Amino acid sequence: MRKRIYGIETEYGLLVRGSDFRYDPVEIANRIKNHVFSKGLGVLDLHYRANDEPPGNGGFLANGGRLYLDMGHLEYASPECSNLVDLVTFDRAGDQLVQEAVEELGWAENVSIIKNNVDLETNATFGCHENYLVSRSFPFDERDNLKLLSAFLVTRQIFCGAGRIGACNPHPFRDWDGVSMEDEEEAKVDFQISQRADHIPNEFYRWVQYNRAIVNTRDEPLSDPSKYRRIHLLVGDSNMSEFATALKMGTTALVLELMEQGKAKRDWILAESVGAMRSISRDQEFKWEITMRDGNRTTALELQQDILETAKSHLAGFNPETDWILENWASVLEDLPKGPEAVLGRVDWASKYWMLGEFKREENLDWHDSWLKSQDLEYHNLNKASGLYWGLEESGDAFRKTSDAAIEFSKTNAPRGTRADGRGELIKALMGTHAGYLIDWIGFRLSKNEEPFLMLDPFISYKSEIRDYLKSMDLYPNPRNQTDLPPAKDETASKRK
Amino acid sequence: MDMNDPLRREEKRESTPDREDSGPTSPDTSRPGRDSILKRMKKVDPKQSEKYKQRTGQ
Repeated sequence: MRKRIYGIETEYGLLVRGSDFRYDPVEIANRIKNHVFSKGLGVLDLHYRANDEPPGNGGFLANGGRLYLDMGHLEYASPECSNLVDLVTFDRAGDQLVQEAVEELGWAENVSIIKNNVDLETNATFGCHENYLVSRSFPFDERDNLKLLSAFLVTRQIFCGAGRIGACNPHPFRDWDGVSMEDEEEAKVDFQISQRADHIPNEFYRWVQYNRAIVNTRDEPLSDPSKYRRIHLLVGDSNMSEFATALKMGTTALVLELMEQGKAKRDWILAESVGAMRSISRDQEFKWEITMRDGNRTTALELQQDILETAKSHLAGFNPETDWILENWASVLEDLPKGPEAVLGRVDWASKYWMLGEFKREENLDWHDSWLKSQDLEYHNLNKASGLYWGLEESGDAFRKTSDAAIEFSKTNAPRGTRADGRGELIKALMGTHAGYLIDWIGFRLSKNEEPFLMLDPFISYKSEIRDYLKSMDLYPNPRNQTDLPPAKDETASKRK
Repeated sequence: MDMNDPLRREEKRESTPDREDSGPTSPDTSRPGRDSILKRMKKVDPKQSEKYKQRTGQ
């Protein structure tokens, strides 16, 4: 089992209450982003990153992550994390940075940050992208391997879907015209387990906005391309549950490992993935039946159990994190058939389904009543005082994978064990100075030096090298932050084993 | 604080006991926490889903 690096990118939705609020959503997102940087939590870009990313559109944070505007959405990219606890912690840290900005701007009554992936009224969709670093030798170019990964991703939604009322029978936003897609009748769906299933018309494709695919094949490693490849997935839902985030990323990492070891079974390949993704998500009886490539019929639950057993056989005992994934993957698969209450706080769609069912009965509502749709949105509200998910934390039903103290720390400090640590050091040194800079995931350049400082290996922190580099330019220690900085010590980078 | 601090252990909760062998079951209305969740839900603006005007992203 290899070391991995994980990352999550989250596009947030923005709900504005009151038609007379003084700013439109795009301006609100811009002001939230600017507020975060004005607090000294990072440095805004001074340069164009792309045609649609002008200077000031976003920037890197002291925690090594990035906050920016993308296609009208506020987006947070976590720093590179070497383990699941860090990943969940830094994902949560991003949530809190934007929610706190809303509160500090005095907008909490008018503006809600919604961590979901769909507008139930217009069917607009926006993503939660997962990143996994694998070796360049990862067998990504062989069709059957892609189909194996696809089969896992199509069926994992039974435990990592975020759930939604209704369906997108994709006419209003038919952004996949010209793509092969089954004509289907306008299905009346009360509730489905995935937010993204209706918006994924392809099995494999390299682009991320149109013609989204179950397996995104874009090759953009953001590291040394001779050594690494970045598996970039956009098929998943944003999760509110810390457990669901960790299990989603953890199980996917184990399946990538099985593929890399050549232990994944061709028997797992589905007859047809895109249709299966949608039929599993929309199954009102939660039977989740699927057809395999060999024509056999089974269920998503049984396929996941088979994948789990294979993972246990080859990966158990590698380290505590692997064993946590295997143990909890098994427990969720065992508990799912018992009903939504059995996985409350661990599976978002089930938690939401239970809440909505209770409220529907209490108020005698139809599944498509706008009040129930409003509850669906409220499940994802990052405001702890009102958001429904936080009610589970309040009652002790949420399964924590990190702690509030760790999240607080992670708003301003980078994770260890990856190059994010060095990047965090750089950002802290640049804050409040007048130095010019150009920063990207793979390195940076300062105006005082023509030579870029490359950070091509995400497993190396580069921290001591960056301190030395900054010292040579009189940028370290940053006088403004001297009291915050720990004493310099030997931070020899840990090379990948 | 070290990000790998062992103090940041997860809290595992026991799942609700099984009541039937297959398929989601009707919820237990006596579940602790149900009333506080419903209290939150009653405060939600019934029309807020119509105010949520999002653009398609990635």
